[in-house]
Amino acid sequence: MNFDFTDEENSLFENLRAIAGAAPSEEVMAGQSAEAVSRTLREKLNKLAEAGYLQLGFGMNAQADAVRLMGSMEILAGHARSFFLAVEMSTRVLGRAIAHWASDEQKEQWLQSLLAGKWLGALALSENTMNVENDPLNTQGIRKDGRVLVSGHKKYVVNGPLADRIGLVGMLDGNLSIFMIDRQAEGLAISERIRTMGYDGLHIAEIVLHDCDLPETDIILPPENAPVLDLLRLWENEILLAAALGLMQAALTEARDFAKSHRTGGKPVIAYQEVGFKLSEMLTLYQTAQLLAYRAVWTMATQPKEGASLIWCAKVFCTEAAERVAGEALRILAGQGYRSGSASESAYRAAKWTQISGISTEIARVKIGDQALGYI
Amino acid sequence: MDFAFSREQMMFKKEVLRFAKKEIVPRVQEHDLKSEFDFQSFRKMGAFGILGLHFPEELGGGGADVVTTVLAGEALGEAGVDGGLTLAYGAHSFLCADTIFRHGTDAQRKHYIPKLASGEWIGCMGLSEPDAGSDVASMSTTAMRQGDTYVLNGTKMWITNGPIADVAVVYAKTDPDQQHAGISAFVIDKGTPGFSAGPPLIKMGVRTSKTSELVLNNCVLPAENLLGNEGEGFLMAMQTVEWDRSALLAPFVGATTYMLKKCAEYAKGRVQFGKPIGHFQAIKRKLADMRIFGEAARALVYRIAWCKDQGRPLNHLEAAVAKLFIGDWSLPVTNDAVTLHGGYGYTHEFDVERIFRDTRLAPIGGGTSEVQKMIISRLM
Repeated sequence: MNFDFTDEENSLFENLRAIAGAAPSEEVMAGQSAEAVSRTLREKLNKLAEAGYLQLGFGMNAQADAVRLMGSMEILAGHARSFFLAVEMSTRVLGRAIAHWASDEQKEQWLQSLLAGKWLGALALSENTMNVENDPLNTQGIRKDGRVLVSGHKKYVVNGPLADRIGLVGMLDGNLSIFMIDRQAEGLAISERIRTMGYDGLHIAEIVLHDCDLPETDIILPPENAPVLDLLRLWENEILLAAALGLMQAALTEARDFAKSHRTGGKPVIAYQEVGFKLSEMLTLYQTAQLLAYRAVWTMATQPKEGASLIWCAKVFCTEAAERVAGEALRILAGQGYRSGSASESAYRAAKWTQISGISTEIARVKIGDQALGYI
Repeated sequence: MDFAFSREQMMFKKEVLRFAKKEIVPRVQEHDLKSEFDFQSFRKMGAFGILGLHFPEELGGGGADVVTTVLAGEALGEAGVDGGLTLAYGAHSFLCADTIFRHGTDAQRKHYIPKLASGEWIGCMGLSEPDAGSDVASMSTTAMRQGDTYVLNGTKMWITNGPIADVAVVYAKTDPDQQHAGISAFVIDKGTPGFSAGPPLIKMGVRTSKTSELVLNNCVLPAENLLGNEGEGFLMAMQTVEWDRSALLAPFVGATTYMLKKCAEYAKGRVQFGKPIGHFQAIKRKLADMRIFGEAARALVYRIAWCKDQGRPLNHLEAAVAKLFIGDWSLPVTNDAVTLHGGYGYTHEFDVERIFRDTRLAPIGGGTSEVQKMIISRLM
C-alpha cells in the first residue's frame, strides 16, 4: 500500500502544470471560431506530445500508468476543461481503440502520428439514444465490390466539427467495427456545432453518413467477442472522472481564494461558519472523490474484474460531487459567482455533462445495484 | 500509488471475519436488545489478539502495523459485529491502552499493557465533561499537586467503558489558569478512593457499549500516576485522533459492507408485485449508494493508517476530512437500509435498525462534524 506519488510522477506533474497553465482557457476557447480552436488544439497537441502526456496509458505497465495518467489528466482538466476533453476524446478514446484493435499497418498509419500530436480525432458512438446498453447500433457497413459503404447517424460527437478523422462505431458483417472516416469523405455530413449548457469551448456535432465509401483498410475490426463497447465506455468514464476532479479543483480554488480575501463585517467571509463550513464540505467531497478515482483506475489496471464496478462507483460519486462543489462555490462567490465567466459558474454548467456522458449516473447505479444483487 | 493489501493482511482479515462470525455475531442481537456489554466476546477478542494487535509482542501484543490493525476493525464491522462492541474495543485499545503505551514509563507499560492487550482488564479514557465537549480545553476537572500526590476533582462525561473499566486514562488541569497547556493525563485504577463511575447511560444506539460519567471526588493519586509530564495532556489526547480517524472509523466501513450484503439478500427474497423488489430500480439505487459510500470511505481511513505506519505526523486536514465524510455521509445510506426493508426495517428482527441507531453516533462521537468543519476551514 502506498498513497504517495513517485518522484518521477511529481516531476511529470510539475511539467504538466506549466503546460496546462498555458493551455487555452474555457473563456478563450469559447470566444474563438472553429478554425481558431482547431489551430489552437493542433498547436497545443504538439506541446503535450513533447511532454510525454499524449503517450500516457499506451505503455506496457498498466498499473503504474493508470495512476500517473489520472494525476496528469486531473491537472489539465483543472486548468482548461474544454481543451482537456477535446484532447482526451481524440487521444485516450480513439487512440486507445486504434492501439487495441487496429492492424499493425493501421497502427503505423494512424497511431504514431496521433500520439505525436499530428492530428485530431473523434470517436462517434452514441446514436438516437445515449444508451448503447439497451439499444443496438444502427450504423451499418455494407460490403460492395471490395469496399464498404457506411450509413448511419451519430449524435453528440466531441470534436466532430474539427477532427481530421472520425472513428465511427458500427456494425459490419454482424460484428462491431470502427470505420475510420476522413473528414473530407463523400457521404459524410457534419452538422453545425451543437451549443451546450457547459463546456463552452468544446465543439460537438451530429454526424450523418449516407453510403460513405471506405476502403476495407480503413476499417478497424476488433475480434468477434472483444468488449468494444465496454472498453470505449470505460475509457470515456476515466476521462470524465478526471474532468470532474478538475472541475472541483477549479471551483474550490476560486471559492477558497475569494472567501479568504473578500471581507465583510470586518473579517474575511471564510471566518463565517456558513462559508467556512461550505468550504469544508467541498474539500471533503473533493478529497474523497480524488482518492476514489485514483483507487478505481488503479484497481481497473490491476484487477479488472473488480475494477469495472469501482469505476462505476467513482463515476457516480465524482461527477455528482463536482456539481455540488461547483454549486456551493457559486453560493460562496454570491453575485460574482453568478456572473458569466467565473470558474465556478462555468464548472457548475459543465458538471452535468460529466454525469450524463460515458455511463450515465442512472445506469451506473442500476449496474452497481445489479452487481450487489448478484444479477450480473 | 498502490492500494493493495499484502497477502498476509488479506489472510488475517479472513481469519478475523471467520472468528467474529463464529464467536461474536451470534450474540450481538441479544446483547443489543438487553443493552448488555458482551464480556465474553470482549475476552475472546483479547484471546484472539485483536485488543492488543498493534502492541509489541513482549507486552502481549501482536506487533502488527497500523494498516493491519485498522483492517481488523473493518473486518469486525463486515462480519456483523455491532457498533457498541467495536466502540468499546476502540476506546479500550486506542484511547486508553495506546496512551499508556506511548506516554507511560516502562514500569507502567509492563504493568498495564499485557492485561489490557489480553482483555483481562478493560480500559476507558476520560476527556469530555458535561460542560466541555467540543471545547475540551475549557474542562474544569483539576489535578492539584500536593507533595508527592495529585488530588483530582471533577466529572467526566460520555465515557465509553466507564462503568466497567478497570483502568482509566483521565485528563485534568494541573494548571487551571491555562487552556490546552494546562491539561495533564493520569492513569487511575478502579477502586481508587474518590474515583467512581456513574450508572450506565441509556442511549439510542451502540447500546452494548457501556457509557457513563466518571466522578473524581478528592481522588488522591501517587505522583507517578502522571503520564508523561504536566501540561502534555492535550497533545496526548490529540495523538489519539490518528486512531480515532482510522481504527475507530474502520468498523463503520466494514458495517457498510455487511449492511449492503443484508439488504441485497432481503431485496432478492422479498417479492412484491410479482417480482423480487431487487428488480425495481429504486431499490437498486439504494444498494448502489451504499456501495458507493463504502468504497468512498475506505481509502480515507487507510490513507491515515498508512501515513501513521510511515511515521508521519498526523495530517489534521485529512483526518478531519475522513471523520466528516464518514460521520455525515453514512447517515443517508443507513436510512436507505431501513426503508429498503419496509416495515421489517423498523423492527429488531433485522440488523439494519441497529446499524441505523449505532451509526447515528458517527457525526457526534470522537469530534463532531461541526468541529471537523471548523478544523478544515481553518486549515484551508
